Amino acid sequence: MIQRTNWVSALKTLPFNELLTATAELSTDWTLRPKSMPQSGLGMLKIKESAFNEQFYLGEFCLSSAWLEVTTPEGQVAEGAAQVMDDRVELAEALALCDAILSAQLPGWQKISCMVERGLTIRESSNKERKQMLARTQVDFSLLDEANDKVDDHVSN
Amino acid sequence: MLAIDPVWQADIQQAHFRLLLDAMAYPGRCLNLKKLPKDGTVALTVLSTLLDAEVSLADPHKLLKEDDWQMLQTKSASTDEADYILCDGSQFTNFTPKTGSLKSPEQSATLILVVNKLGEGELKLNLSGPGIQVNQLLSVTGLAGQWLALHEECNISFPLGVDLILIDDTQIAALPRTTRVEIL
Repeated sequence: MIQRTNWVSALKTLPFNELLTATAELSTDWTLRPKSMPQSGLGMLKIKESAFNEQFYLGEFCLSSAWLEVTTPEGQVAEGAAQVMDDRVELAEALALCDAILSAQLPGWQKISCMVERGLTIRESSNKERKQMLARTQVDFSLLDEANDKVDDHVSN
Repeated sequence: MLAIDPVWQADIQQAHFRLLLDAMAYPGRCLNLKKLPKDGTVALTVLSTLLDAEVSLADPHKLLKEDDWQMLQTKSASTDEADYILCDGSQFTNFTPKTGSLKSPEQSATLILVVNKLGEGELKLNLSGPGIQVNQLLSVTGLAGQWLALHEECNISFPLGVDLILIDDTQIAALPRTTRVEIL
């Protein structure tokens, strides 16, 4: 079973409409109640500069969060929450609902579980591609030292 | 997707904020709330409009449920430190709310008192001061007189003081620190 901490990041790789459709279909007869107000805003990236070791705000990123409680007609109750780097509150709500469905294995949880696995595959593929891109941009500075040694030898000769 | 009570929605909160401004500007006038909460205390109309994570609330009479605190996303504090204090108007509880400082008189507490009825009742108040042309009469049911004594005591050192917001099932009224209250 994939760890709960990975569910939201895996599901976020899937198309938004697919998530909305899946959660809407599953939750037709359910009662959804917010535990806290779903919100969308900006998070601030704080970083320390190296001269005076003081913190400053490097920039902002979009952040949406949702925390909700689900009650099924059969009386099952579950809570789910999600925080996601996105400006769409609806996405956070859908992800929070998925979190609730999977954690309590509410009816239809298998569908969401398959979506998580698919999302995880997409994320791993994306991470691999990023690593390859990063590796291609790395510079081998040791070659410079060899080149400098050869220049010094040539000059002395 | 989520069914959210109207009192938590931005447009309703803006309307209620406007109402609170009018209530403070015209002390003693009873103003009708735009929407009432489907669940929980009517004070949520005012609390949801005014409170956020930057301020604190005291609820000595336990009028709020645990879920309400989570929705308000506000900090809990004691009555002598809180920015807002929610109380049952019919029960007086003795405490010392913060009244601000000369440099920052706004760093004082706002008392929100839930009463039975505004505009009718045996307790009749004659109000005067800024925002009132000559005087304003306000009748209240379910307001212990000691709250008014506390209001007067805290406001002796104006501009330091506290402001009162009274709320019943459908209306609000305000008694800011500038208002003089005489019990008839």
